[in-house]
Amino acid sequence: MKASTLGYSLKQGTKNIWKNRLFSIASISTMAACLFIFSIFFIVMINFQSSIDKMQTALGVTTLFEEDMKEEDILKLKNEIEKRAEVESVIYVTAAQAWENYKAGYSEEGRELLEMFGDDNPLANSASFEIHLKDVAMQDAFVEYLESVQGTRNVRASAAAANMIMNTGLLISYISLGVTIVLLCVAIFLIGNTVTVGITVRKDEIKIMKLIGATDFFVKAPFIFEGILLGVIGAIIPLTLTFYAYKEVVTYLSKSFDDLNKVLAFVPPITVLKSLIPVSLILGIGIGFIGSYLTVRKHIRD
Amino acid sequence: MIVLENVVKEYPNGVKALDGIDISIDKGEFVFIVGNSGSGKSTLVKLLLREIKQTSGKIVVKSTNLDKIRRSKIPKLRREIGVVFQDFRLLKTLNVYENIAFALRVTETPMRKIRRQVPVVLSLVGLSDKYKALPKELSGGEQQRVAIARALVNNPPLLIADEPTGNLDPQNSWEIMKLLEDINKRGTTVVVVTHNREIVNKMQKRVITLKKGKVVCDIERGGYSDES
Repeated sequence: MKASTLGYSLKQGTKNIWKNRLFSIASISTMAACLFIFSIFFIVMINFQSSIDKMQTALGVTTLFEEDMKEEDILKLKNEIEKRAEVESVIYVTAAQAWENYKAGYSEEGRELLEMFGDDNPLANSASFEIHLKDVAMQDAFVEYLESVQGTRNVRASAAAANMIMNTGLLISYISLGVTIVLLCVAIFLIGNTVTVGITVRKDEIKIMKLIGATDFFVKAPFIFEGILLGVIGAIIPLTLTFYAYKEVVTYLSKSFDDLNKVLAFVPPITVLKSLIPVSLILGIGIGFIGSYLTVRKHIRD
Repeated sequence: MIVLENVVKEYPNGVKALDGIDISIDKGEFVFIVGNSGSGKSTLVKLLLREIKQTSGKIVVKSTNLDKIRRSKIPKLRREIGVVFQDFRLLKTLNVYENIAFALRVTETPMRKIRRQVPVVLSLVGLSDKYKALPKELSGGEQQRVAIARALVNNPPLLIADEPTGNLDPQNSWEIMKLLEDINKRGTTVVVVTHNREIVNKMQKRVITLKKGKVVCDIERGGYSDES
């Protein structure tokens, strides 16, 4: 495409938007609403994912060892487990540490009662590994592996919690995907309508252009650009709104509900924006293109 | 320049607009195509511009067989044909200069060439001093001159004028015809579709008469045939 043709198409596309302001505003508003809702889902999703990551490191797999297992074999096994790809970290809790931890969980009075054990360690056979995985989804396979390793016994994993996190994540993904698809279809339809109005207004001009030898591309390009421009404008508005709104909400929640920070890991607004910009722009351009392309194909023929 | 062999055009509603016509127009000719309403004149123009396809027969324009032309090549064919309509078909929001430049712009002509070419045709049609005027500020005759300038700005070897004097008074009609004759003298093949008896008789050019989709008369230098 020649630079002059590109300039002409952009100019005409912008003119069309201005000439059919009412329809353009309707399209941009719908597009903006659609992408705003999408952005909210997107933000919920990435914050949810971030919180899952935080929880995943808290959820671990615990294993005890056979009674006769030597210290050096335990350390060797620790080394072997640490090398596995799905493993984030392995903490070796010795029998003495286990007993100290146990006692720490009691109140002053309770601890006085435990003093009756004196130097005996009732948890002498409770040395263990606390293993944290990179992804909860790998837990089942890892537990199976751990159970097959010689020297381990009583492998414990919080399977229910892991499954709940995964299922909730999936449910949110499906719902957001469904809502977004419906809204995107509405946006495509509205952009198509706006472009149709532009084509109807310029019907005579299009006819003249074709009769004096304009190529199909030259005739159609301004309308395609019009759709893309509508999409881009419709994407920039919710991007700006989302960024500032999210910033305020995160600040408010973090200040007002201190405990939330222990459970949730809020993604910084600038990180959210960096992820949202390409996604929103691609969606805006894509919807604008599809809406206008389908309309132009339907209404401008030889 | 133009060859039609046994061309038939039947519309989907069963109306036969052209019924086996044979026409041959050489390069540099000035030809009138006359006939009453429903004789097939407009269908003939649409076929030559490849707006529609014939039902059967062969149409060749500038060595291009229109039956076999690829869709993507149609714009190139149309750039070889200047076309003028009864209703001028100027863009109301553009001034005279812009209307003419528009024909070059849509064919992706460089701006430098547009700036050079437009004043040349404006001068040819005698509207150099009105290049800033909007179509509504011009008389019918002047608007038709702009339309002719737009048709000529690409230097097409063939000019088709479909009822160019249909909306004009006798004086303006005659001036437009003289302008078309001048253009023809410069080497452009001119085909004028009309039912203006007076003009045809006065010009004494080749006249092809259509009636009910058939060629009923083809006179080398004549007037409006009574057979139409």
